[in-house]
Amino acid sequence: MRRTILEVTELRKDYSQRRGLVSMLTGQGRVIPAVDGVSFYLRENETVGLVGESGCGKTTIGRTVLRLTDPSSGHIVFDGRDITKLSRAKLRPLRREMQMIFQDLDAGLNPRMRVRDILREALTVYERPSDAEIASRIRELLEQVSLKDSKLPNFPSELSGGEKRRVGIARVLAVRPRLIVADEPTSALDISIQAQVVNLLRDLQRDLGLSYLFISHDLPVVELVSQKVAVMYLGRIVEMGLAENIAHQPRHPYTRILWSSLADKQNTEESLYARSSATAEREQRTWGVFDFEQPVSGCRFAPRCPLYKDKGRPAICTDPASEPQLRDVGHGHVVACHFA
Amino acid sequence: MDAPLLAIENLRTYFFSRAKRAFIRSVDGVSLGVARGETLGIVGESGSGKSVTALSAAGLVTAGPGVISGHIHLHSNGARRNLLDGLEKYARVTEQDGRVMAVEKDERGWRKHSETLMAGVRGKEIAMIFQNPRSALNPYSTIGKQLVETIRLHTNFKGENEARERAIHWLERVRIDSPRLRFDNFPFGMSGGMCQRAMIAMALSAEPSLLIADEPTTGLDATIQSRIVDLLAQLKTETGTTTLLISHDISVIQRLSDHIAVMYGGTVVETGRAAEVLAPEAKVRHPYTAALLASIPSADTIRRKSYLQAIEGEVLDTIEVPRGCRFYGRCNRVTEAIRENCAGLEPPLGDVASGHKVRCWLYPAARKA
Repeated sequence: MRRTILEVTELRKDYSQRRGLVSMLTGQGRVIPAVDGVSFYLRENETVGLVGESGCGKTTIGRTVLRLTDPSSGHIVFDGRDITKLSRAKLRPLRREMQMIFQDLDAGLNPRMRVRDILREALTVYERPSDAEIASRIRELLEQVSLKDSKLPNFPSELSGGEKRRVGIARVLAVRPRLIVADEPTSALDISIQAQVVNLLRDLQRDLGLSYLFISHDLPVVELVSQKVAVMYLGRIVEMGLAENIAHQPRHPYTRILWSSLADKQNTEESLYARSSATAEREQRTWGVFDFEQPVSGCRFAPRCPLYKDKGRPAICTDPASEPQLRDVGHGHVVACHFA
Repeated sequence: MDAPLLAIENLRTYFFSRAKRAFIRSVDGVSLGVARGETLGIVGESGSGKSVTALSAAGLVTAGPGVISGHIHLHSNGARRNLLDGLEKYARVTEQDGRVMAVEKDERGWRKHSETLMAGVRGKEIAMIFQNPRSALNPYSTIGKQLVETIRLHTNFKGENEARERAIHWLERVRIDSPRLRFDNFPFGMSGGMCQRAMIAMALSAEPSLLIADEPTTGLDATIQSRIVDLLAQLKTETGTTTLLISHDISVIQRLSDHIAVMYGGTVVETGRAAEVLAPEAKVRHPYTAALLASIPSADTIRRKSYLQAIEGEVLDTIEVPRGCRFYGRCNRVTEAIRENCAGLEPPLGDVASGHKVRCWLYPAARKA
């Protein structure tokens, strides 16, 4: 059994929204639970995919587990150590073991520094290597991310999207991390380059034994790279299990909709008839607007849920006392729905 | 078959990059036709020139030097006009070894002349939907007001009340729920998907001859994306508006297009009926189209957890255009028999079947042409 490198229990992150002078002075304001009681674990050398629509809290989870933002409650255990309350100073040596690849290609690339200096800086944050060591490490990093050394004197603005991404990854690898949170690592790239980067990330995982928390809305890519997938809706995990089960035997109505919206956009072999009837069926479900601000009573997906309508709006779905909890439906596949 | 509604011939649109101190040949000799009532989907990666082609057609290129030469014929309402008529005299290009050295363009003359040609065309004959609906809508004005303005300006519904009813009708047609309430909403009070629907309503309410949809689903959430695609598909059958659709997402293009043009490095590399170009079993295909299709994870790739077939190298920047085929540097199907051609001579867009053209030396049509 592989070791657990990251374990998150009942993680909560509230953002408070204060409007106007009165609420600012009284300190009262609306609280938005961006992440609302999320638990999962990640084993060494494995990938957990995190999917969901924008605003569901994916990125907040990524940032919180690295302590880039502080959680409101819950626990984060990294490699056997509870880091939830660790001070900045104590956290610092751990930071090099957990890194983040940001969605923004330019994040972390100082526009006024050359590629060589960006990498040199990353290499000297935690250590004081000699110039010769730096040179050999830079060569090694370039090889790992397959970047030509002719790019070393270039500024980030002189690089293409794919090259920026590779420099970003090289910079992260420079500190030899064990856990990488990859937040939409491919979404800012062209299709032909996306495939290169996905292949690269998988190679690195194999060669360096990395663990990934892979945040993306690109479902086929998530299914391809992940062993486990967690589906989020409005700050909670609604379904989690092995990637192939989530993709091919989804239980939660939301997961089904996510994957079906992909299927009838993409399926090449599907006949025209089947496609149009699937479309018509989906069109019948009127979706409410995705809204954090509405108070949750019962299942938070109920207002958009096709199953809820099909079942004749059962009371349990909107009962404030019985928000559905994740329950095991076999093979470690968990789902939060009364009827799935 | 009657003449296409929009026929672009040999369009060239260049920009000057200050950072690189060089000219970028964004659109470099593009010819396309959009048949009446049909949808032409242009697919390509960023920098392929697909958006600039569309902007040029709508006369919306503002950066310099911009459109240099070509013809854009629009046949609508019985009139045939060339939107670039007589503009050649304002621009001259000096070229050396595949690199544009200088462009002399009389911007003021061009703009003045161009605006006379575009008056009554842009907005009325050609309407556009953009990628980011929120930035295209006026944040200080309600959705309803903006719709009414379009309708009164471009259609025969001139009265305040009839225009209002018409606007509500259009909000209904793009399936915005409770349209009478939404009429008084400001763009910021609406979700991204809603704004895009409002944008589509606004474009169609002018009853244009040609609708240009530039990445209409990009930037929206996955579930919303597929719903906007559904909507566009439904509106297509309902209104039959001729559409020029631009997207980097092949699945969107596939769903909505009758014809497809694949662009790379400022040129069209393949064009034909959508069913033919994207047919899974197609044997004749431009290597770039094939590679694009292969780089999308297929069910089989995912099941076997195998590698994605990436296209090596980077997207061509069109500053230094190679002497030969623009895709040569990344192509994996070059054979020894054609290598010399590929490296030294740009292949023509040759017919490989009726209505199906491919710009590649692999196919004899190119060698004959």
